Amino acid sequence: MLELREISKIYGDGAARVVALDKISFSADQGNFTAVMGPSGSGKSTFLNIIGGLDRPSSGEVLLEGNRIDNLDENELVDIRRGKIAYVFQQYHLLSSLTALENVLLPLVFCGASEEEDKALEILEKVGLGRRTGHKPSQLSGGEQQRVAIARALVSMPSLILADEPTGNMDRKTGGEILRLFTQLHKEGHGIIMVTHDPEIASFANTTVFLQDGRIVKKTNQKVRRTGKR
Amino acid sequence: MKLYQVVVKDVIRRKRRVLYATLGVVIGTATVVGILTVARAGQERIYNQLEKYGPNLAVIPAINNLDMKLGDVSLGMLAVGDNYVSEEKLPMIRQIADGEIRKALKIEDKGNIATIAPKLYINTKVGDTSVMVVGVDPQEELKIKTWWEVNQGKYLEQQDQALVGAIAAEILKLNIGDVIPLNGTNITVAGILEETGSNDDYQVFVPIDTLQKAFSREGLVSSVDIRALCNACPVEIIADGINKDVPGVRAVAVKQIAATEMGMMEKMSKFMLTLAGITLAVGLFGVVNTMMTSVNERIKDIGIMRAVGASRSQIVKAFIYEAIIIGIIGGIFGYVAGTLLAYIAGPLVFEGTTIALVPQYFALALVLAIAVAVIATVYPAFRATQIKVADSFRSL
Repeated sequence: MLELREISKIYGDGAARVVALDKISFSADQGNFTAVMGPSGSGKSTFLNIIGGLDRPSSGEVLLEGNRIDNLDENELVDIRRGKIAYVFQQYHLLSSLTALENVLLPLVFCGASEEEDKALEILEKVGLGRRTGHKPSQLSGGEQQRVAIARALVSMPSLILADEPTGNMDRKTGGEILRLFTQLHKEGHGIIMVTHDPEIASFANTTVFLQDGRIVKKTNQKVRRTGKR
Repeated sequence: MKLYQVVVKDVIRRKRRVLYATLGVVIGTATVVGILTVARAGQERIYNQLEKYGPNLAVIPAINNLDMKLGDVSLGMLAVGDNYVSEEKLPMIRQIADGEIRKALKIEDKGNIATIAPKLYINTKVGDTSVMVVGVDPQEELKIKTWWEVNQGKYLEQQDQALVGAIAAEILKLNIGDVIPLNGTNITVAGILEETGSNDDYQVFVPIDTLQKAFSREGLVSSVDIRALCNACPVEIIADGINKDVPGVRAVAVKQIAATEMGMMEKMSKFMLTLAGITLAVGLFGVVNTMMTSVNERIKDIGIMRAVGASRSQIVKAFIYEAIIIGIIGGIFGYVAGTLLAYIAGPLVFEGTTIALVPQYFALALVLAIAVAVIATVYPAFRATQIKVADSFRSL
């Protein structure tokens, strides 16, 4: 479903030249939960950004559902973001002027969907925020904000959710709860690619990719842990 | 939820910044509204002066001087033609005057537009004193002589009444209620005019019908004054039309001295509007500046919107909506500030001018303010579309 062919990403020129990704090839099946691990500067975030079309590779091809997405123009990328791929960020990235519910409705505003407040409320209920839909991000805890961000990612029914260290800003307990939410989404059939540096978190994924200096140094497959408890 | 609602919520959150951007629009709009309001008041004042010049067309009987000759010997000049204009020609004259004004103003009005005041002059004696009695249409005459003020008594209301000029009243020793015999018809003095400094002071005015009957001049008038006062009134064209189509009369356009003053005024207005335009342009750059800051402050928000599916054109739209909000607020405050400015500065520019509120400038202020805000937003909005999602988050 997702395939990367010999992806390279090079920043800068001459002495300042940095190879972020070095001819990486990778593939993930529909509904796969992939954890991407590696030390800082190993290229994890670049890897995720290139998959999501936030960044363009210097060379190589990215295929989503058999179609190349690395060479799409801006408008075509917009279509990808409106239903195929959704993001969850470490910093949550919610609009501070909008309530939780309005933040979740935002993707629907842009894709021109009719009022689907019921759908948004249902998703907020699902992520455990049914009672805080009218709160602004500043009135929510980090874990709650991340739940809003996850609900926002889910509302456009994406086939792939890209998460960049979604629990990076949280204590263990809250992080565990967010992780359980991801595991649940995976079970429901959502494909997830998650960047993390916590090996314990990675153990919830069915594929783990280890990156170092822009190369995949190890790739493991494991059975998904049935229990979400840690 | 719609995109504009997202923008409104964001504007409310950043109200300070938005009000700051609005300031530039307010200053520009206020200057334009202020100058226009003052210029309008000045024009109004000149119009009022213009009115004091009375009619701008006079229709008199056509009198041709014929050179009488017998062989080579001149026998002198003979005046040929009537001394009067027939009343039957009045409807034709009205038709031409109103028709030309309608054409010039592009209106469909069916009613009477021009003021048409017929007059009959009779030189007669009251007691032993010779006096000019003028037969007038009381209502039309008052529209031409807007400066007339009745000092004592009342204006003409009935057929057997007379209005006496200030000096005439003094010479003839007339008071309100006195009866004057005019060729056998008794007329009562209804009012005495305030001194005007014109010939009117020496004359006695009576309703034209009464005078026609008293001196057996039924259906005859000595002259017709026409007043077609409007900016675009084609006085010369009306005169030509009357001269061409109405036989036996001669129409003369009265030169308007105030017209030159109006020309000056228009030049002044143009100059001041140019200044206002410059202020508007400066305000525009102010808005561009604030909007650029606003874009830079919101790089992250724009990145978020792009990440959840906003297209470039939707980002532009969001900024245009914000510009419209700024324009509406700026237009309202600009109109209020401009009007206040006119109230303060108007009397300093044109002495004795009363500034009138001009409601239609509110619409102008709104349109102007929105236009300025939207134009100022084009470039910042374009810059906003160039923001890359990944960069927007990395910079933080």
